[in-house]
Amino acid sequence: MRSLREIHVIWGRNMRKLTRVPMLLFFSLFQPLLFLVLFSQVFSSMAKLPGFGYDNYLQFLVPTIVGLTALNSAFQSGMGMVTDMDAGLLDKFLIAPIRRSSILLGKIAADATRMAIQSSLIIVVSFIMGARFKTGILGILAMILIAVLFGIAWAGISNVVALRTRNAELTMLIGILITFPILFLSTGFMPSALLPSWLDTVAKFNPITYLVAALRALVNEGWVWTAIWQCLAVTAGLAAVTLTAATRAFRKVIS
Amino acid sequence: MAILEATDLVKIYPGDVKAVDGISFTVEEGEVFGFLGPNGAGKTTTIRIGVTLLALTSGTFVIDGIDVRQRPEEVRRRIGYAAQSVGVDDDLTGRENLILQGRLHGMSSRDAGAKADGLLQVIDLEDAANRRAGTFSGGMRKRLDLAQALVHHPRLLFLDEPTTGLDPQNRRALWSYLRELNQSGVTIFLTTQYLEEADVLCGRLAIIDHGQIKVEGSPTELKAALGGDMVTVTLPREAATESPAVGEPGTDGPLERTRAVLADVDGCSSVTVHENSVSVILRDGGAQLADLVRALDAAAVPVARLELAEPTLDDVFLKHTGERLRVDEVRPPSRVVGRRRGERA
Repeated sequence: MRSLREIHVIWGRNMRKLTRVPMLLFFSLFQPLLFLVLFSQVFSSMAKLPGFGYDNYLQFLVPTIVGLTALNSAFQSGMGMVTDMDAGLLDKFLIAPIRRSSILLGKIAADATRMAIQSSLIIVVSFIMGARFKTGILGILAMILIAVLFGIAWAGISNVVALRTRNAELTMLIGILITFPILFLSTGFMPSALLPSWLDTVAKFNPITYLVAALRALVNEGWVWTAIWQCLAVTAGLAAVTLTAATRAFRKVIS
Repeated sequence: MAILEATDLVKIYPGDVKAVDGISFTVEEGEVFGFLGPNGAGKTTTIRIGVTLLALTSGTFVIDGIDVRQRPEEVRRRIGYAAQSVGVDDDLTGRENLILQGRLHGMSSRDAGAKADGLLQVIDLEDAANRRAGTFSGGMRKRLDLAQALVHHPRLLFLDEPTTGLDPQNRRALWSYLRELNQSGVTIFLTTQYLEEADVLCGRLAIIDHGQIKVEGSPTELKAALGGDMVTVTLPREAATESPAVGEPGTDGPLERTRAVLADVDGCSSVTVHENSVSVILRDGGAQLADLVRALDAAAVPVARLELAEPTLDDVFLKHTGERLRVDEVRPPSRVVGRRRGERA
């Protein structure tokens, strides 16, 4: 109970910051929105290719963009960590009589909330653009949940970078440098069948492929539980690695 | 009763950097105790160990009977800490910053709000309470930061260079506030590199340099212990740098001659040579000044200036460290944010 209260205080502070600086909410939305609008137009004729398998490119693209939003938002998490360290705010949290885990969990809860809001906005925009969601409202909620969980696992990477470099610009730069290639080395923009075979092999080892597969199934096919469970398993494995590394980096900074 | 007891404190940073080298000191309940020393002396390291932000290498640090290593959370309830650089959230208002601190210390929203309002009045920020802290001037931010450290009624307040970066007017205002705070029963442990600040605020202080405490006592005691007045003989810059004449072995330069003359005068002690001046402590001060001038004259030392002054903490510092504690008294704040408008000292 006490921990919940502490987490709530930290979460509340981050949320208040989000309302005070709306830029923090829209910062990581620009690129996904741009991709959503541009790619769905530029690649629209791709749907005519044999073996593509989807009615139109927008239906195929929306899940990728929802995932991308979570990835971008994840790197915002590390930047927030650097800002808090630089401003001496992390120290203020550390000398308060609260659990260290509450500081991290409060931050994760705030990151998750932000990712959920951002994913919802993307889904609304896609709907306006004509995308339709096979699994309805429940499926949309499941999509948001899956994207948020994956985003939290990804945020672990950004926090490791942040805690090691203590430099916001570098954290953002490394975030972009990691996210971009990994995104294009997945099935995010092209179905597996149409990828060159080497890329198809690489994509099979890419966690983002599993995220996109689960989200894509929910949008286009229905409750494909194999895809969903695979994605959750990959997310759990990824989170185990990244969040352990982040916790370790955090401990190092505060000792 | 001692509220803080540090014994044989050592902190070695990675790379074998010894920041604190065997420090022992106590702070009594109700006093203002200070560390006076230059940058890099180990002041901040000591404070960060005390506020549980940094692990010590060896020794003990006990606050109110509690070892900071064994029960850090208990220690955190009893202390307040304002770091050298201000720790306020620019995106929150002044009031929200204070409420957040109260909430982090387990207060209900209502209690934290009431406490915040009271503190805003005390630190004279009522008018700016609902403005974002990012718009505050340096002085306002410093006051807000101090108030943040007080929300939960700490018994012991750690202040790391509380007035660094403030202009003289704001500095004096903060001093008088800190004195009031101390009179209300809060024990204060502060660090400073400003001589005047140590003199004005501290009941007792320790001079710290290169990770070690050189001497400890009240400012008055420390100055009296020098045993007289301070005389400084300054040579013309050209004469001071003149080297001994070539071909005349055994002849010293003017600076060295001055030192020798002064060391010979009866009642002189602690002769220290600086760049182009020599200072001594003269037991009977003014009465002996004539002797000193005659001796200088006899040795044909070119004198640019002669000063006689009551000893200052800088002289105490000089005696115990061999160097002067020279600090530009007004430095730019570490973070310049906001405007001056609406600020009151």
